[in-house]
Amino acid sequence: MKMVGVAACTAGIAHTYIAREKLLKAARLRGHEITCETQGNIGIEDELDPKDIREADVVILAIDVAINKMERFAGKRVIKVDTSTLIKNPIGFIQKVEKVMEKQGKP
Amino acid sequence: MKDIINFKDLKRHIMTGISYFIPLVVGAGLTMAIGRVIAGTSVDNLGTSGLGYWMYQTGNLGMQLMVPMLCAYIAFSMGGRPALAPGFIVGWVSYNINTGFIGGMLGGIVVGVVVNICKKYIHLPKTLEVLKGMLIIPFLATAISGLLMYAVIQGPIVWLMDALTGLLESMSNGSRFIYGGVLGAMATFDFGGPVNKTATAFCNALYAEGIRDAKTVQIIASMIQPFGIAISCLIARNKYTKAEKETLKAAVPMGCFMISEGVIPIAARDLVRVVLACVCGSFVAGGLSMVWGNSSELLNGGFIAFPFFTSPVQGLICLALGSAITGIILAVIKKPVTEADEKAEENLGQELSDEALEEIDIEIM
Repeated sequence: MKMVGVAACTAGIAHTYIAREKLLKAARLRGHEITCETQGNIGIEDELDPKDIREADVVILAIDVAINKMERFAGKRVIKVDTSTLIKNPIGFIQKVEKVMEKQGKP
Repeated sequence: MKDIINFKDLKRHIMTGISYFIPLVVGAGLTMAIGRVIAGTSVDNLGTSGLGYWMYQTGNLGMQLMVPMLCAYIAFSMGGRPALAPGFIVGWVSYNINTGFIGGMLGGIVVGVVVNICKKYIHLPKTLEVLKGMLIIPFLATAISGLLMYAVIQGPIVWLMDALTGLLESMSNGSRFIYGGVLGAMATFDFGGPVNKTATAFCNALYAEGIRDAKTVQIIASMIQPFGIAISCLIARNKYTKAEKETLKAAVPMGCFMISEGVIPIAARDLVRVVLACVCGSFVAGGLSMVWGNSSELLNGGFIAFPFFTSPVQGLICLALGSAITGIILAVIKKPVTEADEKAEENLGQELSDEALEEIDIEIM
């Protein structure tokens, strides 16, 4: 699958970046293509490429707070998860995403 | 109903408000602190112009934006961009009618709800649709939420705050240790997370009421985790992974300015023991500081705030004692690092059975 992700935690200092790392690694380990941006306390970094968003099968939001530029994901299948849930078991989470996508497919 | 207010998401909205308002508190707080340093013994020394006064005043004015900012971004999180401006206005109302943080939070939620109702039920012909975001929603949300603030929210909250403040003021010397201890433990408990921010909000509200000893407890307790963990790392070097030692090098300087998020990665590997040790240290430090009644002139700043305690020495004693307790407890209860731990930083979890997968909480939109 092709995925794009956004990570953002409350303080935007630690969990945001841990979540991004783990999301990228776990998704790639399971054979998916993924890019992920962070919305930490200094704003958006590694901003998602509009082309990647267009081509993505699913948008992963690992967020504890509201994020900016949500309008980019209009009409896409979006899966939202707390950063702590993701960090606890990234592989399990990706596995769950796979299952959900299998069942629901594109919106 | 869900598109108007979703109670499951309420925490997320409040956290959004808090995440936007932290930089404001830090920016305004430190600017104000520097002005206060220049002032020396009394703020009156600053007069009405000059570097010190301007710095102090900039920070001071910034601090007044705290509640509006919180309110605005809670509203923003719920209702998106049209909710932002009404959120600021209602937050400013909350500040001015002395309903403080609680009023600001409720105000933000009210604005969010009103905006979402407007979005859902007001339909205009296509040509006039643009008026909705520019004129109708900002006006209705501001007017309705403002009225609700004055007419409904003000009374009970002012009463509640008065009652709470009175209760805290009337606490006797014996229970002051427990009270300070609990506040300190709360400030430490989740490393700058929701519980810490609740304690912060509470102490800031008390500060606004002129009760400033709780603030000292919170400032000290917020600095104990990085220092305590660093002490335990010095005592028992074999109990920390390489990456953790690196993390500490950044976390300690951050801790000097009261930013405790730096130690999260260390706590994450060994949550129960680290939190337990930190809470013990902060409980004692907070309790002691409260018994001494050490007050803080500043809201923020870590070591910058120390010269403006009633007694900086007592502050340092509390911090040192708390950090030492945390350090020693942690050095004793922490397990030595194993090879597996060194690799745990890259731990990505494992595949799960179908039943276990059900437990992973996600939201599909």
